[in-house]
Amino acid sequence: MRDVAVLGVGMHPWGKFEDKSVTQLCREAVQSALKDAGIQWREIQAISAASSRFSGGKGWGLNGNDVIEDMGPTGAPVYNLSAGCAAGGNAFNVGYSLVAGGLYDIVLVVGGEKMPKGFIQMSGVQEETDPEYLRQVCVGMPGPAFWGMLCLRRMADHGTTEEQLARIAVKAHQAAQHNPNARFRQLFTVEDVLKSRVVSWPLRLYEICPVSDGAAAAVLCSAEVARKHTTDPVWVASSTVATAKFNDGIPRGLATVVPTGHTEHSEATTAVKKAFEQAGLGPRDVSLIELQDNTVYYELAFPEEWGFCEPGESEKMVERGDTVPTGKLPINPSGGFLCFGEATTAMGVWQVCEITGQLRGQAGARQVPDAKVGLGQTLGLGSNATAVILKR
Amino acid sequence: MTTTNRVPVVQGMFAETPQGPRLLGSKCAACGAPYFPKSPVCHNPECSGQRIEEVQFGPRGKLWSFAVQYYAPPPPVKYDEPFAPFAIGVVDMPEGLRVLGRVAVDDLKKIKIGMDVELVIDHLCSDKDGNEVITWKFRPV
Repeated sequence: MRDVAVLGVGMHPWGKFEDKSVTQLCREAVQSALKDAGIQWREIQAISAASSRFSGGKGWGLNGNDVIEDMGPTGAPVYNLSAGCAAGGNAFNVGYSLVAGGLYDIVLVVGGEKMPKGFIQMSGVQEETDPEYLRQVCVGMPGPAFWGMLCLRRMADHGTTEEQLARIAVKAHQAAQHNPNARFRQLFTVEDVLKSRVVSWPLRLYEICPVSDGAAAAVLCSAEVARKHTTDPVWVASSTVATAKFNDGIPRGLATVVPTGHTEHSEATTAVKKAFEQAGLGPRDVSLIELQDNTVYYELAFPEEWGFCEPGESEKMVERGDTVPTGKLPINPSGGFLCFGEATTAMGVWQVCEITGQLRGQAGARQVPDAKVGLGQTLGLGSNATAVILKR
Repeated sequence: MTTTNRVPVVQGMFAETPQGPRLLGSKCAACGAPYFPKSPVCHNPECSGQRIEEVQFGPRGKLWSFAVQYYAPPPPVKYDEPFAPFAIGVVDMPEGLRVLGRVAVDDLKKIKIGMDVELVIDHLCSDKDGNEVITWKFRPV
């Protein structure tokens, strides 16, 4: 395996852009990544793209093909990756593997999305053999209710308070106010969050990420190429993909088996632990985490499932202010999904852009001091998860 | 007068038996892993069992967790207009099955994690032909 560098990153700001197509959002992100990398479009040797279910891609998730047609058909190979909300992370992993394996020297990873309004829509498949369809017609458990159910169990296990949940949302917005690419940058107090309406008890509107339009791109390259452009590149320490284990206790369809041990998000745990192993790093080496906070609950569950703290300690980290950009373990100094809104398949690439900015010291008022190692993680329907560790 | 037909939301998922309501599932004869809905194979990667038995789950369980849905969810979730909040429970059954089901309760504030519940077959919504669509739910014991 060869060393792989992140040569350039670029994104289109997150928001609602009625007058732009997803391909246009991607073009702006790609152009900005190429400029950041200091290379021309024709130098891209392969494209690894996240497949969207919501926009573009000729209805077949061929979003990478839309990008190459739009930017200029060079004949380069295109890989379109589908993994629910983890698709951006999967696309990154394939792009990384193509360079690490020596197949190509310069690869573009891209993800873009224009989302329908409201909370994320259901599968659209209306077949009784589809577990997601069955779950929705027989019971009805949209995303926020699924997250609410997990959060309420944590509250029962660890005594998590509504104020602690609200505090995580407050922290996210404090970071996002300084991020020009974030969509929701207004400041909230704990009271503001607690006054926002309950969407799925125990979760409130400001504690759940909405959906957004956005696009992100990254240029990955071999060490040899990187050295021609910069003396101090950001390196990919590891990139992993995983799916869930049989008995982790989280019902992803209508039912699962009662676990023998602790209930956990095994797809994310596996991806993150594998990423540590492959990078030869551990939680103590991490300067910042960009994790998938579809809701504030994940900022409590994930750090302990990944070995950053003991079970039940996450609430104390929040109370102590450990997770702010200048704290002991900064979590989502970008503002996270909460302040960007989820442009589903773009998120894994967006995390790479945010972490790269931090490691280069370009994050301005939300800069994590002396950031050396950043961990990114996504989670998607179908029990997909990805992790990436970037280092300086 | 027309009589209201009771129509299961999906066929073959549950039944009113002489012993009461049951979920229709299956179980691996080798490792005992329970499946709902029925699975023709065992999904346990540690198990190489080949034989699956049809089983009925219920009626008892314990509420592992729940959430209360306060906004009208997008299709294909079914509910009567006007929308009224409902609770979705996750129930651990003694057969080793952790299963989703709405919680049948008048006062949503009375739902508590860890409480004993039992299976019921109950109204989900009325369809456009005036049929009563029914599903399984869990009711506090």
